[in-house]
Amino acid sequence: MNTHIPTEKDMYIEELKRRFNQSPDLICKEIQIRHQTIVIHFVNYQVRKDLVERDLLYPLTGRNRTWSLEELKNKIPLASSKGTDSMEKITKELIHGSVSVYLEGEQEVVLFALPNQEHRALNRAETESLVFGPQIAFTESLMTNLNVVRWRLDTDDLVVEKVIVGERIKSEARLIYLKSLANDTNVQTMRQRMEDLEVDEVEDTSVLAQLIEDSSSTVFPQLITTELPDRFCNSISKGRVGVLLDKSPTSLIGPMSLFNFFESTEDLYMRWNMGTFIRILRLFAMVLSIILTPLYVAALTYHYEIIPSSLLISLGQSRATVPFPPVIEALLLEMLIEFLREAGARLPTKVGQTMGIVGGIVLGQAAVKAGFTSNILIIIIALSALASFTAPSYSMGSAIRIIRFPVIILAGAWGLIGIVFAMCFLVLHLLKLQSLGRPYLAPVYPLEWKDFNDTIFRTTPQRNDRRPNYIMTKDHFRFNEKKAKRHKDVDPS
Amino acid sequence: MNINLSVSKADSVRAFYLFFIVHTIQIGSGLMGVPRVLFLEAGHDAWISILLGGLYLHFIAWIMLRILGHYENADIIGIQHDVFGNILGKIVSSVFTIYIFLILLTVIKNYIEVVQVFIFPEIPTWLMALFLLSLMVYGVLGGLRVVIGTSFIFFFLTIWLVFTIYKPITYMDVGHFLPVFQSSPMEILEGMRMMTYTVLGMEVLFFVYPFIENKKKAALPVHLALVLTTFLVLLVTVVSIGYFSAHQLKETVWATLALFKIIHFSMIERFDFIAVSLWMMVVLPNIVMFCWMLQQSLKRLFRIPEKKSMYGIVVLIFLGSILIEYRLDINRLTDVTSRLGFYLVFVYPVFLYLVLVTRNWWRKRRST
Repeated sequence: MNTHIPTEKDMYIEELKRRFNQSPDLICKEIQIRHQTIVIHFVNYQVRKDLVERDLLYPLTGRNRTWSLEELKNKIPLASSKGTDSMEKITKELIHGSVSVYLEGEQEVVLFALPNQEHRALNRAETESLVFGPQIAFTESLMTNLNVVRWRLDTDDLVVEKVIVGERIKSEARLIYLKSLANDTNVQTMRQRMEDLEVDEVEDTSVLAQLIEDSSSTVFPQLITTELPDRFCNSISKGRVGVLLDKSPTSLIGPMSLFNFFESTEDLYMRWNMGTFIRILRLFAMVLSIILTPLYVAALTYHYEIIPSSLLISLGQSRATVPFPPVIEALLLEMLIEFLREAGARLPTKVGQTMGIVGGIVLGQAAVKAGFTSNILIIIIALSALASFTAPSYSMGSAIRIIRFPVIILAGAWGLIGIVFAMCFLVLHLLKLQSLGRPYLAPVYPLEWKDFNDTIFRTTPQRNDRRPNYIMTKDHFRFNEKKAKRHKDVDPS
Repeated sequence: MNINLSVSKADSVRAFYLFFIVHTIQIGSGLMGVPRVLFLEAGHDAWISILLGGLYLHFIAWIMLRILGHYENADIIGIQHDVFGNILGKIVSSVFTIYIFLILLTVIKNYIEVVQVFIFPEIPTWLMALFLLSLMVYGVLGGLRVVIGTSFIFFFLTIWLVFTIYKPITYMDVGHFLPVFQSSPMEILEGMRMMTYTVLGMEVLFFVYPFIENKKKAALPVHLALVLTTFLVLLVTVVSIGYFSAHQLKETVWATLALFKIIHFSMIERFDFIAVSLWMMVVLPNIVMFCWMLQQSLKRLFRIPEKKSMYGIVVLIFLGSILIEYRLDINRLTDVTSRLGFYLVFVYPVFLYLVLVTRNWWRKRRST
C-alpha cells in the first residue's frame, strides 16, 4: 500500500501528524528560501540534533537559491540520503531516526538517516564471568555486536544474513556462519525456523531459543545462549550457526550437544591437562548434584543396610531428634537453598551477600540446633547445590537443579528403585532430544571417537586438528596436525 | 508383503552397534540365576557346557548371517514369507511374535520378582510393571535410533558391575572344580541347552539386520558380542561354583546376585541392593528391544500401526504381569518360553538354512 505525498504543504504536515497520532515529539520546521518552502520533520529524541543542525540545516539555509530534489540528494554532505514517494516509508524511517526534507510542490521527499541510539558501552561479562581470557560481553545494540563479531572473525568467509522476526513488533536478527564450514542443512533449519515464526514479538534471544528449539517440553536447553563474543565466535569458527538479535545482549548458537553446555571457553585458554580436568570435574559435579541427595533419602528411608555401621551410628545420632521422614527433611533444605539463590538473584549485590551469610550460615546452623535437620544432610545439600553451580551455562545449571526435585520425591517413595527409574528415564529422555535435528548426546551416541577430543576432554592444541563431526561441517580439519607439531627452532650448531 | 525392507540412510545404523544390540539383549534376567540352573544339570563341570554352548552360539550366528546374506535387505518375516509362502509364512512368523511377547513378559516378571525378594517385599507388582512399561513406552516411542541408543548407553552404565566380582574371586575354592569330567556327556549336553536358555535374544539379528548400514562388517561385532556374553556367563558360573559350596548353590536361586552380597566399599556396606536396583538398567535395553521387535513384526505381518500395536502390547503385558502371581507360575512360564525359544532360535535357523540352500540348489538345477 502506498499513499502518495500531497503536493500541498499543509496537507502534507497534517497527514504526517495524523500518522504520528498527534505526537508532540514529531518536530516540524518550516524554512522559507525566497519563494520556496522547505519542511523538515524528525522525531525529537531519535536523531542526533547536533548533526542535524550542523550538517543539514546549515547547508540548507546557507545559500540564497532555491533547492531542487537532485541538489538535495547530492549537495548535502551526508552519507545516506534517499528519496521516497510513499508516506508509509517516511513514517517508518522517521521512527528509525531519519530526517525528512520536503520541498513544496514535489512528489518526492528526501530522507537523511541520522539515528541517535541510546545504548550502553561494551562492558565486562557479568553472568558468564571468566577468570582469564577476553572479558568483553555483548551489548543490547545489534550494530555494536556485529562490529565485535566482525572484528573477532576477520575473514570474508563470514556470512551475515538478515532475518526479521516478530509480526507486530519487528526485531532485526542476523544469522551468522562461515560459508565454507557451516553445514547447509543446519543453516537452513535455523533460518527456516526463524522465518516461520508467527509470534507478534520476540523479546530476547532466550525467548527466540525457546521458540525455535526442537523440544519445548524438556527442561534441557538445546541451544546455547551466551553473552561472550569469544564463545560465540569460537563456535562459529567450528562450523556452528549463530544468531544475534537486536535489543538482546545474548547470542544464540546451535547445534549443540549436552556436553557443550559443560565447557567454557576458559578451558581453551588453560593448559590442556587442566582444561580436561576441569571439564570432567563439571560433568562429575552434574551427576553428583542430581544423585547425592536422593541417595541420602533412599538410604535413610529404606536401605539403611547400605550404610556402613560406623557411619550409621553418627548418622542416626544426628537424625535422632529430627521429626520428619528424610524426604521432607531433604525437600525442606533444598527449598531453603532455592530460596536463598532466588533471593540473592533478586536483591542488590551488596544486600545479596548479607543474605547469603544470614541464610546459609545462620539458618543452617539454627536448623541443625533446633533438631530440624541432620548435619550430614546440610553437608550433602550444600555440596549438591555447589555442584550444580559449576555448570558454565546458567540454564543448564537451573535444569539440573529442577531435575533434582522429582528424583528426591521418587527416592522418598521407592528408594533405590525410584532413583534408578529416574536415571533410566533421564537417559532415555536425553537420547530422544535433538538440537537442530542433530543428536543431543553426540559424540557419545551416536559414537564418534574422534569428537571426544574437545567435547569431553582436551588434548594439546597442536593435536586439536578436527572440527566436531556431529555438526557435519564441510571441512573436518582445522589444520594439518603434522605441520602444527613441527617446531622450527634455530639450529643450535 | 515386501520381502525386502526399504530403509533410508538416515534410519540405518553402523554395524558396530550390533555388538551392543546383541550383547545387551542376551544379558538380562537370565544371568541372575544361571549358575544354579547349570549346576543342577551339569554339576561342577558346568563350565564345559558353557564353552560348548558358546561355540554353538557362534555356529547359530553364522547360520543366521548366512540366511540374511541370501537376501538384499530382508528381515525374518520377509524371509519366511518368501520361503514358506503366504499362509505358512504368516503362521511361522506369528509363532515368532508370540515367542517374543512371552519372552518380554518373562523378563519383566522375573525382574519384578527379584526386586520383591531382594529389596521391597511389599512393593506391588503392578507398580513395578508400570515403572518398567512406562520406560519401555518412552524408549520405543523414540524409534530405532533411541532403541539402539538404549542398548549402547546402558551397556556402559552397567558393564562396570563385572569388575566388582573380583571380591568373590578371592574367596574361591579351586577344589570345588575337582575332579574334572565327572558329569556324563548327556548331562553336559543338558547343561548346554540350559545355557542357551539364558542367552536367548540373538534372534534380534533377524530383525535389525535390514537397518544395518555396512552389512559386510556385521559378522565381527556379532561374534564379539557372543564372546563377551559367553565370557560373562562363564565368569559368574565359575565364580559361583568356586565360591558357594555345592549344597549352597543348589539352594541359591539368584546366585549371581548373592555374589554381590559380600562386596562392600568404604561408603557402601551392602552392594547387592545397589546391584539389584541397577539391574533395571540391564533389563531395560532388553524390554525396549523386544518391544520394538514385536512392533516391527506386527507392522510387517498385519499392518498394525506402530503406536497402536505398542499400546496393545503394554496392556497385555501389564495384565499378564498382574495375573501371574506365584513363583511356580513364573517358573512354568519361563520354562515354556525358553523351550519355545530354544527351538526357534537354536534349532529352527539350521532348518531354515537347509530349506533355503536346497531351494536355491533346486532352482539352479532347473534353470540349467
